[in-house]
This record gives sequence, structure tokens and C-alpha cells, in this order.
Amino acid sequence: MNSSDTSEAHVMKDTDVAPRPPILEVRDLTTYYPVNRGLAGRLLRHEAKTVHAVDGVSLRVDAGEFVALVGESGCGKTSTVMTILGATKANSGSVRVKGEETVGRTPREMLPVYRQLQMIYQDPYGSLDPRFRVSDTVEEPLLVHGVGATRQERRQLVLAALESAGLSPADLYVDRFPHELSGGQRQRVAIATALILEPSLLLADEPVSMLDVSVRASVLNLLDELRRTRDMAIVMVTHDLSTAGHFADRIVVMYLGRIVEEGPAKEVLSNPQHPYTRALISVVPKPDPRDRSTPQTLSGETPNPVDIPVGCRFHPRCPIAREECSQSDPPLRLPVSVRIESHRVACHLA
Amino acid sequence: MISVPLFSVRDLHVWFELPDGRELHAVQGVSFDLHAGEVLGLVGESGCGKTTTILATMGLLPSSAQVAGEIRINGVEILHGGESSVRPHRWRDIAMVFQGAMNCFSPVRTVGSQIVEPMKLHGIAKGADARRRAGELLEMVGIPAASAERFPHEFSGGMRQRAAIAMALACEPKILLADEPTTGLDVMVQAQILELLGSLADKLGLAVVLVTHDLPVVAEACSRAAVMYAGRIAELGSVDDLYHDSHHPYTRLLFAATPDLLGEDRVASIPGAPPRLDREIVGCPFRDRCDSAIEVCASEEPLLHLVGSAHVAACHLNDLIESVTK
Repeated sequence: MNSSDTSEAHVMKDTDVAPRPPILEVRDLTTYYPVNRGLAGRLLRHEAKTVHAVDGVSLRVDAGEFVALVGESGCGKTSTVMTILGATKANSGSVRVKGEETVGRTPREMLPVYRQLQMIYQDPYGSLDPRFRVSDTVEEPLLVHGVGATRQERRQLVLAALESAGLSPADLYVDRFPHELSGGQRQRVAIATALILEPSLLLADEPVSMLDVSVRASVLNLLDELRRTRDMAIVMVTHDLSTAGHFADRIVVMYLGRIVEEGPAKEVLSNPQHPYTRALISVVPKPDPRDRSTPQTLSGETPNPVDIPVGCRFHPRCPIAREECSQSDPPLRLPVSVRIESHRVACHLA
Repeated sequence: MISVPLFSVRDLHVWFELPDGRELHAVQGVSFDLHAGEVLGLVGESGCGKTTTILATMGLLPSSAQVAGEIRINGVEILHGGESSVRPHRWRDIAMVFQGAMNCFSPVRTVGSQIVEPMKLHGIAKGADARRRAGELLEMVGIPAASAERFPHEFSGGMRQRAAIAMALACEPKILLADEPTTGLDVMVQAQILELLGSLADKLGLAVVLVTHDLPVVAEACSRAAVMYAGRIAELGSVDDLYHDSHHPYTRLLFAATPDLLGEDRVASIPGAPPRLDREIVGCPFRDRCDSAIEVCASEEPLLHLVGSAHVAACHLNDLIESVTK
């Protein structure tokens, strides 16, 4: 049970089940943010510190796959997505979008990548320019990438994108301003803007957390339908495990910049192997009051990623930690009680 | 339940007069009772009147708002004299944790000095006595008393929310109103805060009103809940009844729109949007989005009727079922 075993399993999986190259391949990605010492700190030569926001993340996403990144705030899930997007600089590691390396590119060099890679943000109230009509916002990517020769042609593409994002009839929405739209409609405009170039990978950071419960499902169902009909891969950041379980094929659980568990969504939720995943699941409120369980709350919150604990990062909060946990950092590997080949966990005791 | 409820809201109406002479009726005839130690949930979509309802009971609505109805604390009516009759009860009998309260602390003063403030203002305690009490309050919400000397930025989001709850409890109120107290917090911290509210209700005999848009949070933390729609209560009952024996299509559809961790059911949104409240609503306000509306729904507004023990719902279908079974 060590790294050679898992790499073998990976090779088998690659040749047996995945004939297509992955849409996204992330290897050993790290993103560090420097901590500002301030003038006094610099003069006094305080040690320069860094926040290890993403600390060795490897991820593979296939065409049409829906992957959910989950974890507490500060676990690095948004930083991972922003680094994949190129909005945050990676320190080391590799990000390949359709086989093309994107780490180290300048913004100008990134431009062609954005035909394949688009993003939607959490806040549909803040992500749209209030002075732009819906048509201007949705058309922008076409202008940037020089798609659509005539105004007429671009207008047709805009209308089609709005229709596919569920804003139908599109004529009704295309000339409106953001303030004339509801939250759900705004998020659909953001989705239409992201989809107009027909990307093969969509990154979504908490796409529904600002929306009303009654419209959340429709936006998520839309994303689900789009990845099925267009074979588009989706990486969604969320803190809501119930949503992840319902819509994602795969769940990736992060803790302090690392992946601690990943696997098929249903498998991770019904047979969690990492004590952190188990704790997260236990605190998810259930809609049925008869399902009320005793939540296994962990003390405190995610520790400061400036001072990462030695050994397993989770051991100071772990209810079952043993001595070895404070000494060595467990690698991500197949759990001992394997039910499904693609399940991975980083725990000495699993 | 013969005893007088600790907190009682009767036929509460709130409306705003708009510049063009029309009226926006934000809360229409909301009634509920609450006993000591009980946690009641107020759930619904944004704009359904949950926050306006509890702000009205605190007397904190803007001056453009008109309020009618009764609010009783231990049987004593407090709304009759407007602002001047509500103010003596605010914070002393009835206190509130505002939405985003964790971000409301002044960054330049210690947390302790800010918790002391309402005590000084209401003449409950001052000086060393007040500081000691601030420490006790922090201990009560699970923060070491010594942290009173620290600044808000030294607290995590969860700790700031606890401190905001401690501040609301500074004048020993009997009723605590919490507006979306866990929104913006992590699941782990959310569970801790809900646990805290439950244990405070238990230990201090507080009556807690929990306003949230999140049904699972209500199911987890409340004994009873009122589902609000378009300023009215659509259904009110025990959380068990609401989930297993719901008598309003809106409640049923809201649950269907909420993903369950390992549930297999398809999650379906509710089509359409709530009606505008600045126009007169004829018939049932939920009619346009309802999947089982009948003819009478278009003409008559359904009233709240008893559909079980301590369980009321406002839906014509219930009358229909009743008349068939008779």
C-alpha cells in the first residue's frame, strides 16, 4: 500500500477506461501567497512568510465530467480554481488544458486558452457590468476572440447562447440591463457569456450560493444538462455537500491546500474514508427532521495556512489521530478497504 | 398550552407608502406564538417578509413603514404606542442578531468594550462590573473570557458571530431574534452556531426566532417553523409535520428544491417568481407557481385553517379534501 501501487492503478485506469485525453490535467500544483510583513517587519528582518494556499494538488477531469471541489473556507478550493484559470500565478506544477501547458503564460499567451476555458463566479450581482446591456456582456467574448464577422452574426450567437442558458425567449432579455433581472436570470446571463465560445471546460465558484433556494436547482440542472449535451467538463467549487452529491460525478475534498479524499460522489458520501470527510458529512443539515444526527463538530476552524502542522495536516483536529499522524504526511492513495478503484484518501488509518 | 405565551405576534401588518401613492404590503396578517425555550423557524424566499416581520417586532423599521397588529411579551402589548412603547423593551426583553452581524464590530475597539456598550446604555451594569459580565457572556457562547481584550480582526468569522450573539444577550433578553445567523459561514461553523442557539434556548429559557432561507437548517435547529410567502404565512407547524405531512404545495415544492445528501430524488426548482407586493393580489398569491391550483385559487384568497394539531395551512386544496372526506 504505497505510491507504486496507486501509480499502477492509474496506468491501468488510463489504458482501460479513458480512451480520450483529459480536458484538464493538474499535476503537483502549488500556489503560495506572500504575507505582507509591513515596513517594520522588513526593517526588523522578520522572517518572510507565505500562505500555502494550494500545496501539491493533482487533478484530472475528463470531457463531460462534473467535479465538485469541497471543503471549509480557506482550504484552497477557490485558489485552486483561480490558479487553473491563470488569474493567480502558480508557484510550481503543471496545468494542462486539452494537453496544452498553461502555467507560466502571460495574460496575452493565455488568451487562446480561454476559448476552451471559461469561468462563472459566485456573485451574479457583482460579476455583470451594470452599464452593459445583456447583449453587450454576452457579446464581449466574441469581440475579444474575433468570432462572428458581422454584427448580425454575433447577434444570432448571443441570442442562441441566451436561449441555451434558459433565458427564453431571448428577445425579451437581450436588451435589458442587469438591474432589470432577478438573481437567477443574472447568473444565467453569466452562464450564457461563459458558454458563447463553446468551451470544453467550465470553472464555477459557488455558482448558486447567492441565489434563492427555489431557483438554485434550475441553474444547477442547467449546468448538468449543458455538460451532458455539449460534453463540457465542469469543475465546481462548493461548500454544500448535498449539492455536490446530487450533481457531481466526482467529489474532491480539500483541506489546507491538499486533496484529502476524492472519488465518485456517491461513494465518497456513503463510504467516506477520511475523518475530515466524515466530519463534514455529519454536519450537513438534513431536510428530514427525523434524520437529525449528532453532528460531529470539529473544534475551531481550518488552521492558518501560514503555519501548516507537521505530519498529517488534519491531525490537530482529528478525533482518531495516532502518534504516526503527527510525524509523517500521508500520501493520497487507495484506501485499504477498497470498494471502488478510483477512490483515493490521504490518511494513515484508512 | 393554557399558559400565556412568552412572545406572541397577532395579525401583524406592515406596509410602505410608495412615492406614487401606491402601497407595498410587505407583511400581511402574520401571527405566531412562542414559549420559553422554543426555537421557531421563519423560512421563505428573499422578499417574502421574514426580516420585515422581525424588524417590526423590534420597532426598527424605517419611518416610512406603517405597522398594525399586536405584539405581546408575556401578555403585555408593546406595539400600541408606536416607537415609544417598543423602545423600553428593545434589547432588554427582545434582542436581535442581525444578518451579517459578525461584520458589524468596529475594527478599532476591543470586542469586550463593544459588548459592554448596550449594558451601559440600558443601565444594567457599568465599569468593572460590566467588563466582568462581558467576559461571562463570551464564556457562555464558547469564547474564553480573556478574549474580550482582543480586537475583532483577531477573531475568526465563527467567533465574531458568537460574539455578536453574546452582545445581543448583554441585557438578558427573553426573546432572541436571529436573522440568517449562519449565512456566509462554513458548514462546520454553521453546525456549531446552531448547536449554540439551541443550547442557549434550553439553558436560559430563551424564545428564539430563527430567520433563514435554508430548510435543512430549520429542520435541524427548530421545533416549529412558519413558511412565509408573499408576506403571509403559508403554513405553520412542527418541522416534522412540514416535512412528512405538508399541507401547502409551496412547502412541498420548497423541500423538493432542496438537495438531500444521499437522496435520489431529482431536485426541481419552482418555476416563476413571487408576486409583486405593490399590486393587489387577487386569489392565492402562490397560484401562478403552484402545480395543483384549482379554479377557486384564482378568485379567493385561502385563509389559514387548522389541518392537524398545532398545524395550520392556507390552501384551498385542504378545504377540498375536507369536504370530500365529509
